[in-house]
Amino acid sequence: MPYLGSEDMVRELRRALSNPNVQSDHLRYRNTILKVVRAMSQGVDVSGLFSEMVKACATVDVVQKKLVYVFLCSYASLNPELSLLVINTLRKDCQDPNPMVRSLALRNMTNLRLPSLVEYVEQPLTAGLRDRAACVRRVAVLGWAKLHKLQASSDIDAAVVNELYSLLRDPDPVVMVNCLRALEEILKEEGGVAINKPIAHHLLNRLKECDVWGQCEVLKILERYRPQSEDELFDILSLLDPSLLSPHPPVMAATLSLFLSLCSGLPAASLSALERVRGPLLAACGSASREMRFTALCHIQLLLRSLPGLMGAHYKRFFCGYAEPAYIKQRKMQLLVELVNDENVALVLDELKGYCTDVNTDTAQAAISAIGRIGRSYSDRCLEILTGLLGLKQEHITSAVVQTVRDLVWVCPQCSEAVCLALEGCEETVQDSQGRQALLWLLGVYGERVSSAPYVLEVFIDGLRSEVSPGVKMELLTATMRLFLCRPAETQDMLGRLLHYCIEEETDMCVRDQALFYYRLLHCGIEETRKVLQGRRSDPSLGVLIGRPAEPVNQWARSFNTLEPLKQSAAETESTSGGSPEPVTSVPRPNTDLSLSSLSPSPVDKPPNGVALCFLLLGALEKAEEEDYVCMEEHVHCPAPPRCSPQSLQAALQLVNVQTLAFTPPQTLPWRVYLYTHTRNTHRSTLILGELLYTGEERVKKQPRDDTALKGFLSILATVLHTLSSERA
Amino acid sequence: MSASAVFVLDLKGKVLICRNYKGDVDMVEIDHFLPLLMQQEEEGLICPVMSHGNVHFLWIKHNNLYLVATTNKNSNASLVYSFLYKLVEVFTEYFKELEEESIQDNFVVVYELLDELMDFGFPQTTDSKILQEYITQEGAKLEVAKSKVPTTVTNAVSWRSEGIKYKKNEVFIDVIESINVLVNANGSVMSSDIVGSIKLKTMLSGMPELRLGLNDRVLFALTGRDKGKTVAMEDVKFHQCVRLSRFESDRTISFIPPDGESELMSYRINTHVKPLIWIESVIEKFSHSRVEIMVKAKGQFKKQSVANNVEVRVPVPSDADSPKFKTSTGHAKYVPEKNLVVWTIKSFPGGKEYLMRAHFGLPSVENDEMEGKPPITVNFEIPYFTVSGIQVRYMKIIEKSGYQALPWVRYITQSGDYQLRTNA
Repeated sequence: MPYLGSEDMVRELRRALSNPNVQSDHLRYRNTILKVVRAMSQGVDVSGLFSEMVKACATVDVVQKKLVYVFLCSYASLNPELSLLVINTLRKDCQDPNPMVRSLALRNMTNLRLPSLVEYVEQPLTAGLRDRAACVRRVAVLGWAKLHKLQASSDIDAAVVNELYSLLRDPDPVVMVNCLRALEEILKEEGGVAINKPIAHHLLNRLKECDVWGQCEVLKILERYRPQSEDELFDILSLLDPSLLSPHPPVMAATLSLFLSLCSGLPAASLSALERVRGPLLAACGSASREMRFTALCHIQLLLRSLPGLMGAHYKRFFCGYAEPAYIKQRKMQLLVELVNDENVALVLDELKGYCTDVNTDTAQAAISAIGRIGRSYSDRCLEILTGLLGLKQEHITSAVVQTVRDLVWVCPQCSEAVCLALEGCEETVQDSQGRQALLWLLGVYGERVSSAPYVLEVFIDGLRSEVSPGVKMELLTATMRLFLCRPAETQDMLGRLLHYCIEEETDMCVRDQALFYYRLLHCGIEETRKVLQGRRSDPSLGVLIGRPAEPVNQWARSFNTLEPLKQSAAETESTSGGSPEPVTSVPRPNTDLSLSSLSPSPVDKPPNGVALCFLLLGALEKAEEEDYVCMEEHVHCPAPPRCSPQSLQAALQLVNVQTLAFTPPQTLPWRVYLYTHTRNTHRSTLILGELLYTGEERVKKQPRDDTALKGFLSILATVLHTLSSERA
Repeated sequence: MSASAVFVLDLKGKVLICRNYKGDVDMVEIDHFLPLLMQQEEEGLICPVMSHGNVHFLWIKHNNLYLVATTNKNSNASLVYSFLYKLVEVFTEYFKELEEESIQDNFVVVYELLDELMDFGFPQTTDSKILQEYITQEGAKLEVAKSKVPTTVTNAVSWRSEGIKYKKNEVFIDVIESINVLVNANGSVMSSDIVGSIKLKTMLSGMPELRLGLNDRVLFALTGRDKGKTVAMEDVKFHQCVRLSRFESDRTISFIPPDGESELMSYRINTHVKPLIWIESVIEKFSHSRVEIMVKAKGQFKKQSVANNVEVRVPVPSDADSPKFKTSTGHAKYVPEKNLVVWTIKSFPGGKEYLMRAHFGLPSVENDEMEGKPPITVNFEIPYFTVSGIQVRYMKIIEKSGYQALPWVRYITQSGDYQLRTNA
């Protein structure tokens, strides 16, 4: 930030620094240096004083030295030549009898971050590794890591690596941990520090000497170790067992992470470890720091994916305090939804009902949608609460309720009776576009049972000119069309006006196209229209899958105790709170089929082995700055298409986390299955949509952006199909 | 772990002080921090992790400061937050109060500390007791001879230096229990727990060995004694000086204490406790005219004990005016800036029951802003009493010079997060 009059200031400081009178007076000299550093922290550009400051570092006063070094390290990259002058002083300091001075000099020597100085730094660093004071060795060890980072391409001296390995046996625990950190950095290319049996056991034995940070580091690095025998494994596990209950949440989490990686072949052992950490995790949820609470909550969400019953009895711990920040409340509500069961449902709902009137509208809406989620299994109680909330006539509450109810009737059509009764009068309170879209959808689908539906739509149509949201307009078109099919007399006139406006005056192309589409559809006759618009509604006989199947621990073990769970669950809430209305997109529309088939590429030659399965894979990259999708085709060799029932295919695919969208009846040709799956890694998530096609031909296209994900998907799919078809064979 | 850089910002997002530890994240990235935060605040979705490109900001807020760590790796979030809180702890011990002014007044020490606390993105020396031995605020005065090597940096007992001397050897033990209670509007206790801590003020010479005996249920079960009241502690945390292996094997709490004040241990007891001060409230709101509040407070603890400085904080609508109070004891005060009535009772003996009535006017034009339903909160302190019944049975002090030392024990129970929801 440019500072008014900063040039004058720099000039004045320079004059003071080079004034011999000031230089001879320690106190005045130091105060001037203090002023320079203060100016630097305030954002004034004082880099011009570099040469004056270089001179100032030759002093016996440790504090002055530190200040000058702070300055020099900040501006060294701008003055590489002048920095060379500092090196001499620094090297001299490395010989100082006082270890504090030695460590200070070494640290700053490596903090200058100038590749040109590396040759001068290596010798003092080597000496530092053998210094008798632990504080110097600590700095020297990390110094090598910094040096390597500075010029990652250059080969590091094997002697140094050996020396670092031998320093793992240093009596000072911090030196030991720093060695691990340095070797991790230096040997990054080779996959980090090599952990063999003696090192692993040495580290385990010294774990208790380390501070919290050191313990976490050691535990993290031990994840790479694979015990050679079962006995050894269990010895390690029992040694680590007390750390699972560590009062420090980071240590507890790191231990659990290590447990999960050691027990990856023993699901029972990892599950019992999860049981053991329940107490400490719950304690972390009550910790004084809200960020730690938040982290703990996010990680509990992760654990529940594998062990849904883990926190069942402790649901009260997730009740929200009045003053808690919204991000914690929302996370807690998500957890409460997961923990609902027959015994606690009344209490949980009562509690959630209280949050619906929270001052923070986002929290209130999250509470309402949480009630909606619970409604999938306890629809009557939840509907009662939701319809009760409508009585408050609060804009954001009504809007959230309408959206939630819409999502609910889609999966629980038996609720529609109660919903229709409640809808009357909502149109006056709902103002935002999401809420109105939901209301319109409901009026369209259940128009015959809501007596006032045509009048509500008429109000919307009359106000069309002032409507800004294209989403609302499109929803209005669909709703009016649907209502026309069941109540033609009341709706005909307004439908005409609506279509006329949208085709003649509307500027948004999507809306206009949709209006034209409906107009032409009406020309095809009322039966055709009915077929398109009143396609299959959700089938009440298809029950909702309550509760996700428990995932295997390996699914998420790698992201445990990192930043990812915090980001991940944030993304999930975004999609639930602000996301697209799911039923609208899943209403069967004739063109969805078209779009898929139009993407099918031309057939290629038959593979030599006769029978093959063909794929059209569509990988879409979500959450990237620009939306990005690529099609590819791949064929999987498989002796025959699985001749099993669709249910067993679906179950088999779900085991590997692939969801089926639709499939043709078995024994038909061509036989198709539409499926999708998600992959997630740190930076992005990939949605893979696939069509599994069996005709005897094959097609290939490629998506270069997330090859690994696709490959993994394909190999898994191939395995499943193989297993299934061999079973049937 | 690996944090790339640590920043201390003021509320306007201006960098007060920063330290670039790794140099792999551009320091100007911090300029995106406050805009991101403002944007999230507007959307009502503040989150302690924010990302800009591939840079993640992990932040906490303390007084009028933001402490931010940046990283471009998938680091261990809980460790980074722990480190940021450690920073707060260390700075607070140095400056009493960590805020913008204290950072600016002490920036030399802050630079020194940041240098020692972390190197290359890894926490190094974070114990403030050790740091205080070689980084002092007096360092700001010119003192060439300040080159004493702190023994503790390399010492086996890192939390205590040798050669400490006191004329009178004493140790003060404070057992403090806070109770957290959440009661819902119809009077049932939703959750309650006790968070206890044992604090020491050690004024002992040399390297004393201490052993603390508590009426710990597990210990009593181990030794086969079952007379007297015992306490089952959960989530016990100790200061690093306590020998954990001994505690794990035979529940003995033995240690060489740090000098001066320290927290020896903390624990949590997750049992159903009867709320010590029970509140019944009736809040009747007559729209456009008035609010009438009746609050009854009852001391549900032993008659011999007395709660001190009891404060019952009752929320009132933000547009209420012309307060009128009537209390059976203590006095009530309206705090309009917090929309609260604070009813203060200096001393509240167990078993007693007191009453407060309040009357407020409401404007005829109603405030159409939505208001939350804040709970009633209670603050109090009961000396010479612990809810859990925990007791210090003995404190043995052994030093090789063989001096006699006196342990003093004090018990206090206080309110923690004590909330009672209202029906209004």
